[in-house]
Amino acid sequence: MKQSPQEDPVREHSYDGIQEFDKKLPNWWLFTLYATIVFAVAYWIYYFKADLGPTQEEAFDLAMADISARAAEAAAKAGVIDDAALWAMAKDADAVAAGEQVYISTCLACHGANLEGGIGLALNDGDWKYGGDPLQIKRIVVEGLPTAGMPPWGPVLGDEKVNQVVAYILDKQEN
Amino acid sequence: MTEKKRVIEYNDQIVRLFMLASIVWGIVGMLVGVLIAAQLNFHLLNFNMEWLTFGRLRPLHTNAVIFAFVGNMMFAGVYHSTQRLVKARLASDFLSNLHFWGWQAIILSAALTLPFGLTRGKEYAELIWPINIAVALIWVVFGINFFWTLARRQEKSLYVAIWFYIATIVTVAMLYIVNHLSIPTSLLHSYPVFGGVQDALVQWWYGHNAVAFFLTTPILGIMYYYLPKAANRPVYSYRLSVVHFWSLVFIYIWAGPHHLLYTALPGWLQGLGMIFSLMLWAPSWGGMLNGLLTLRGAWDKLRTDPVLKFFAAGVTFYGMATFEGPLLSIRSVNALAHYTDWIIGHVHSGTLGWNGFMAAGMFYFLAPRLWNTKLYSVAMANMHFWLGLVGILLYVASMWVSGITQGLMLNSADENGILAYPAFLETLQSIRPLMLTRVVGGGLYLVGFILMAYNIWMTMKSGQKVNGVLEIQDDAESEKPMGLFGAIGHPAFLYSAGLVVFFCLWLFGSGLTELLGMTLSILTTVLCVVHFAKSGENFAAWYDQLLKNSLPFTVLVLLSVAVGGVVQIVPLVNIDRDSVAEDRIQKVYTPLELAGRDIYIAEGCYNCHSQMIRPFVAEVKRYGEYSRLGESIYDHPYQWGSRRAGPDIARIGGKYGDVWHYDHMLDPRSTSPQSNMPNYPWLFEKFTDYSSLNSKIAALKLLGVPFPDRSPAEIDSAAKAQAREIAKGLEEQGKEIDPDKQIIALIAYLQQLGSFEEPTPKVAKAE
Repeated sequence: MKQSPQEDPVREHSYDGIQEFDKKLPNWWLFTLYATIVFAVAYWIYYFKADLGPTQEEAFDLAMADISARAAEAAAKAGVIDDAALWAMAKDADAVAAGEQVYISTCLACHGANLEGGIGLALNDGDWKYGGDPLQIKRIVVEGLPTAGMPPWGPVLGDEKVNQVVAYILDKQEN
Repeated sequence: MTEKKRVIEYNDQIVRLFMLASIVWGIVGMLVGVLIAAQLNFHLLNFNMEWLTFGRLRPLHTNAVIFAFVGNMMFAGVYHSTQRLVKARLASDFLSNLHFWGWQAIILSAALTLPFGLTRGKEYAELIWPINIAVALIWVVFGINFFWTLARRQEKSLYVAIWFYIATIVTVAMLYIVNHLSIPTSLLHSYPVFGGVQDALVQWWYGHNAVAFFLTTPILGIMYYYLPKAANRPVYSYRLSVVHFWSLVFIYIWAGPHHLLYTALPGWLQGLGMIFSLMLWAPSWGGMLNGLLTLRGAWDKLRTDPVLKFFAAGVTFYGMATFEGPLLSIRSVNALAHYTDWIIGHVHSGTLGWNGFMAAGMFYFLAPRLWNTKLYSVAMANMHFWLGLVGILLYVASMWVSGITQGLMLNSADENGILAYPAFLETLQSIRPLMLTRVVGGGLYLVGFILMAYNIWMTMKSGQKVNGVLEIQDDAESEKPMGLFGAIGHPAFLYSAGLVVFFCLWLFGSGLTELLGMTLSILTTVLCVVHFAKSGENFAAWYDQLLKNSLPFTVLVLLSVAVGGVVQIVPLVNIDRDSVAEDRIQKVYTPLELAGRDIYIAEGCYNCHSQMIRPFVAEVKRYGEYSRLGESIYDHPYQWGSRRAGPDIARIGGKYGDVWHYDHMLDPRSTSPQSNMPNYPWLFEKFTDYSSLNSKIAALKLLGVPFPDRSPAEIDSAAKAQAREIAKGLEEQGKEIDPDKQIIALIAYLQQLGSFEEPTPKVAKAE
């Protein structure tokens, strides 16, 4: 194999004609290796020896506690959502329009494009098996009804979207 | 001292066979890949046929490209280069042929079982147990043939490529056997011996290191032979080879749990997975450096030589993928990327970029030499290169954007915990164009690959098969073998072994052992550094000597790779299942639910649906409470999944009614508009297999799942009674269906997902 004279020497032994230099390991490469080892030890001590960092479960509980506190605050600020408030929302074109979007993406597949029902019950026939007051409807949306195959949408949608979709359903009743 | 000259002829016929098999299977495997990628946009591309459905073909794609394409390529490269590096013909023509035809028979049987839903339900380990045994046997044939050849070598000292081949052979054997331990329930079906969290850990110890020791180490060995050959330059640094080889094989094994971050896997294992993945960065880049820097002084040749072009790009992709890997293993990055297309992109920058391009470079190097001619068309090879490169870039870039987009959308919840995108399907719509771009990228790559196949075919036709020959001198003089004690008695080994033991004492011990471990770790490190500084020559001489002793060398490799698995797996296998189950333990399946679960596995649902909710606000809001370790403890195999092409279904049970599932399986778009899930009409025609339930339950009982004692007749009638009940409920809602159809069993399984019990009081008291 050709090798210009100014190059470093190759190792004495060659394999099927393949020669090898024996250059020093690049400093930045060694630094990377050592740095990751030091980090690994430090990480282990931080989380598993000194227990300074939260476990994933603890981190989750903290995040949820934070959210519950804020949600309670927000609920207090928003005041009580009662039947009258939901009826009022049903008169609010913006809320109904937003509710329609939620209905399309979440409810339509089972309750039908015109609320005529399908896998789920009809929502336009005035017949309310589980109560037709706004808060009763809202409760079914939030908590679901496992025996009837209705999933709880409260955690997924959040209060605002739930209120909007209830407003949309109420709006459809009047028509 | 006798000295006589003789000429040996290499067995290059086997190299030609493996190479051609690799090309043929490569086309098949990539074609299936393009098809299933397209199915994610156009669900009807399975033509409503069960055999062509994503869940069954995706395992075929992964198995074909890993074991058939890269496998055959690796065997071609290993056999071709080893003969030349050790100056000996392959030990046995019979074993070589058995290896080749056995391997092709395995691939064929994989292609004839996976589309029919015959699977073990574990990623890259789907093949059914009789094929597992065949794989293990053929791998042993490979090992015997290889080590026998080493035993007959004329070149006493082992070149770095051979180190990597040795690591490949021993480690893959270890991984494959442990992860495929199963209890058969019939000729075509078995359950893995590990369940739940244990199965998850063993699976990713295997899965991650299949990437390491099947897709990486053999290809590094191939790089170390073909790259300096093609560049006609010396390898950059021998000592870098030594350091990065040993650090790579030692560290790689520990990194598996990074596939299970934020799951129910115990935190300390997740921690190990992450820190070892980070430490893997430099050792991996050692290989990239030695590849790229060997090209110094030969860069001009890249313009004219397609072989070097492919090698340079392949090694660069290796560097990219091995930087991305540690990055993805950082917990906070993984929280975003896990279950998304980013992982798919990461894998393909490794397989298309590193494996595929190294394969192409090697084939272009080999074809003219094996057929004693010139490459048919350099221009066509260049065309292949650019098509492939653009294909990979389109593929990887679109998957990055897709993964990050969907990850951000799914994880985004505002300060009150309200999901920004409550509908999973909305996130799917946003990545559809990106998934389409991926199809284009993968398609371009395949076109380039087919060009290569044609180019090599024409090259073959223009030439004549030729086998390499070498004149050697039989040299009766033999050096004194160092023996096993020579290998492990040297300070170099003693320091390393001591460090591993003392570090483990430090990291896992408490109180006195911890203190002792720390003191001894630091002492050993200092002593080792001082000793090495003083008598490094002696260490180097020992290593030179070790290279002439293949058996002690192999034993040291085996010890290095075994440590990680032992430290991680043994404690978890020995745990008491009840006591680790925290507050929840999985309910034992009813016979019908078990039958349904086996349908779920056979259809490959785990390829798109996870059953593992991570402890994040957004996930808990979307899918329900995060998954506990105990909730899947009896699952053989575990079904946590790795990619969410669809939503998580760990708690789907009871969420919707039976009718919803009925409609959804018949046409997912009837309940979930714009879904890309295929229709499953055959579940409404095929009958549930009740007859195998008895032997299945018996096997699971043997593995410790507490099924109640029941006679075969009782099992059968219990299953049928539950099926009738579900069918009756459906009938009441206007769906008439024979209770013995598979859909009923599947609904039974889906509807119990997420159900659990309190652990027995006995355990609670013991705690």
